[in-house]
Amino acid sequence: MNTKDIIIRRIILLAIVLLAWETLPRLGVINPLFIPPLSGVITALRELAGNGEMATHAAISLQRAALGFAAGAVLGLPLGLVLGGWFPRLQTALEPLMELFAQANPLILFHVIILFLGIGEAAKTFIIGWLCLWPVTFATITGVRTADPTLLKAARSLGLGRAGLFVRVTLPAAAPSIVTGLRLAAGYAFIMLIAAEMMGASSGLGWLVIQAQESYHITRIFAGAFVITLLAITADWLLKLLGGRFLSRVESGADDYVRMQGSAGKI
Amino acid sequence: MSNLAENIIPDQEPKIVIRNIGRTFHIKKSPAGPHDFVALQEISLEVQKGEFVALVGPSGCGKSTLLDILAGLAKPNSGAVFIDGKQVTGPALDRGIVLQGYALFPWRTVRQNVEFGLEIKKVAKGERREISTRFIDLVGLKGFEDRFPHELSGGMKQRVAIARALAYDPEVLLMDEPFAAVDAQTRETLQDELLRIWEETRKTIIFVTHSIEEAVFLADRVAVLTANPGTVREIVPIDLPRPRQNSDIRSSPEFGWTRHKIWELLQNQPPADHRAGEQRPVADAISPSAAL
Amino acid sequence: MFDKIDTIKTHLLRWSGVVVFLLLWEAAPRLGWLDAQFAPPFSTVLGAIHELAADGSLAKHLVISIWRGVTGLLVATLVAIPAGFLLGLRLPVWAAVLDPFLRVLSQVNPFSLMPVFILFFGIGETAKIVVIAWVSLWPILFYTITAVRNVDPLLLKTARSLGITTGELYLKVILPASLPVIFVGLRIGAGLVFFMIVAAEMLGANAGLGWLVHNSAMNYQTPRIYAGATFIVILGYLLNRFLLALERAFFSGEQEQVDLVPARRSSAPSWRPGWRSAAAAASVIFVFLLAGGREVYLSNLANASLGGHLGHQEEAGEANVEYTCPMHPFIVREKPDVCPLCGMRLVRKSDAAHGAGH
Repeated sequence: MNTKDIIIRRIILLAIVLLAWETLPRLGVINPLFIPPLSGVITALRELAGNGEMATHAAISLQRAALGFAAGAVLGLPLGLVLGGWFPRLQTALEPLMELFAQANPLILFHVIILFLGIGEAAKTFIIGWLCLWPVTFATITGVRTADPTLLKAARSLGLGRAGLFVRVTLPAAAPSIVTGLRLAAGYAFIMLIAAEMMGASSGLGWLVIQAQESYHITRIFAGAFVITLLAITADWLLKLLGGRFLSRVESGADDYVRMQGSAGKI
Repeated sequence: MSNLAENIIPDQEPKIVIRNIGRTFHIKKSPAGPHDFVALQEISLEVQKGEFVALVGPSGCGKSTLLDILAGLAKPNSGAVFIDGKQVTGPALDRGIVLQGYALFPWRTVRQNVEFGLEIKKVAKGERREISTRFIDLVGLKGFEDRFPHELSGGMKQRVAIARALAYDPEVLLMDEPFAAVDAQTRETLQDELLRIWEETRKTIIFVTHSIEEAVFLADRVAVLTANPGTVREIVPIDLPRPRQNSDIRSSPEFGWTRHKIWELLQNQPPADHRAGEQRPVADAISPSAAL
Repeated sequence: MFDKIDTIKTHLLRWSGVVVFLLLWEAAPRLGWLDAQFAPPFSTVLGAIHELAADGSLAKHLVISIWRGVTGLLVATLVAIPAGFLLGLRLPVWAAVLDPFLRVLSQVNPFSLMPVFILFFGIGETAKIVVIAWVSLWPILFYTITAVRNVDPLLLKTARSLGITTGELYLKVILPASLPVIFVGLRIGAGLVFFMIVAAEMLGANAGLGWLVHNSAMNYQTPRIYAGATFIVILGYLLNRFLLALERAFFSGEQEQVDLVPARRSSAPSWRPGWRSAAAAASVIFVFLLAGGREVYLSNLANASLGGHLGHQEEAGEANVEYTCPMHPFIVREKPDVCPLCGMRLVRKSDAAHGAGH
């Protein structure tokens, strides 16, 4: 079975799925109140896009996700590098604590954070940043720690100083792991973003979905979910592209998933 | 090319008859474009009951492919294999197989590994235990029955693999470079052990190796294979006295002479008909220890 | 001997961070660095945990949460493992065809799906279990596909040379050989489940650990929020550790063939569960499912009658009162009702304003 055949089958399957989505609710096989026909969802999408609502909410959501993600990455990368590269004993001392922090369910934490920061942008950014911080930190530590020792030895024998060693050998060696951590963090950022917007917000895609449900605009729920998924996939794809230099090509999605999850959260 | 006839003892029905085996792989992706790679061409060989035959040759001569065909795991494009006059069509319990990578089931203890074939054969539990005890004893692993493979050394793992292959009492034992992954000392011990087991059980053994020394030490006859395409260049009878185990036969002049003869056979290969540029000197392709 | 001292030293070092953190937590509110109203000292939180444990409510919520988690995980496992075998081994072409679809589905945000599931299944237990099963489905499925495809070919060759039947090959070779990797998928799935249970319970439930925290937050019982949060964190940590330990106990020796997963060699004695221990574990889970299910049923029942009773009372009361959801303040009804989003009872608007204001 060659690639062309598989792509053709994918297209046919996609067509069947879309066609079924359109016709089954129309024929009443599926209750259109639960799953509206595709055209309805498209109409809702166009409507939301037309009046600028979608763009506004998407922009707000993206801003929150990006801010939280950036905060997590900006703190997590140096933290991981410092702990993994320079202070292994401190890392050992902090390891269980960090593990506990990473375990801390962000939704539960949200309640605590609201106590301190109130229901505002600060609380949302904080919770997303918190969630992003740990995969980035752990992945960086893992990457730095598992840098090939023979490579380090070889580089040291060439007379590379400590800083040079770090920049030229350790960092590139840790890069694939770091990219994986960033990808995981981005995924978390989106999941948590929607949760945070559902729990307390008056704007954003999560709020749009919740509000659509409240007013029984089922098509809008699907439109919102579609855009959220699209954004998450695009973000993941961009990060993958960014890391494309470091990561070998992985054929199947299953393997990619396993590779990503497998290297997550391990010290 | 063939001096088969001299080697067949006429008044005995051969146990295994390999007749004109050919195997071609169609290679789609290669720098040279799609082409057919002839792994085996016109291979013929007859093996007597209870005989120990070694197949030796450089990497890429198709010896493992030939073994797969014998095991029934691969099908030849032409020719056929007969065991006791019956054509081989698929895998069956009349042939045991031992592979280079041990292939032990990591979730099973030594005993459970040895009993695997018996389970497939639906042998009753009590009998299974009795048989596995006997064969674990035979390969010298008494006391290790309840160990898991990861708790064993490489040599011990290979003993388990041999015991597993023998346990369901196949008449033919097919061994694909079984001792390639163990260190030199263990390897010699295992060779001694194998000869002892062979003499005790009187199985017919086909043993694939890339070490000339190993082939000469173990076998009654050595089939020398050449690559590109894989064919039998010559079959060399080994007239060294038995038992050879626990003796310093390796340092005898006859041993050295036979080894050198096979080495020359591998050296003086005719140049390959096609893709000669990729042909490496055979001395590089076969193991360094073999050329010593 | 020295080894022992070294191990103790390492342990002391490892846990020193946690100890320092807890000391700071205790000291900061007491010394007035933090407002004790917002951040009660650790001892107060421990007291709250003790209180919850003493009146049995902690155990009840714990059982209910775990019941939901186990049920969801079980559903996901029963779907994902056979599907993984089917796609990985029998239908490789379809696996390739479906690959992008599965990937997109796995990326669909479970929170944005929650409203859809609630539409389909109502607000009851089913929606929660479906959403929990949905999240854990993907790691188990993807790990199973990868696992069955990466079984050592030598093992397959050996088994096939014995003339093994396909059924036996699956049961005796491929399943045990791929179990270590599948188990990693299960462990990741369990972690997600733990996350999702709390979410589902916060968004609509009347019992469970998530609800406990949520409810405490609504009622401004700050120590209880921390108590619930601490308890959940410790529980999550223990769950993760337990699963890792289980993984090590089962598969420690097999890492060589499972190079997809970072190798973790250990000298732990290998122990393989036989049919007997598997059956024992299965029956324990079964009994737990029955007992937990009863607990969940009773809790839902109690809540329903309470809601009905309350609704009756309020209806007779004053007019022009608006009811709103404590979680979703934009939902406003004129009559006592349950929130269409989360199924929580709506509260009077003035009460809600009281609770949420600060």
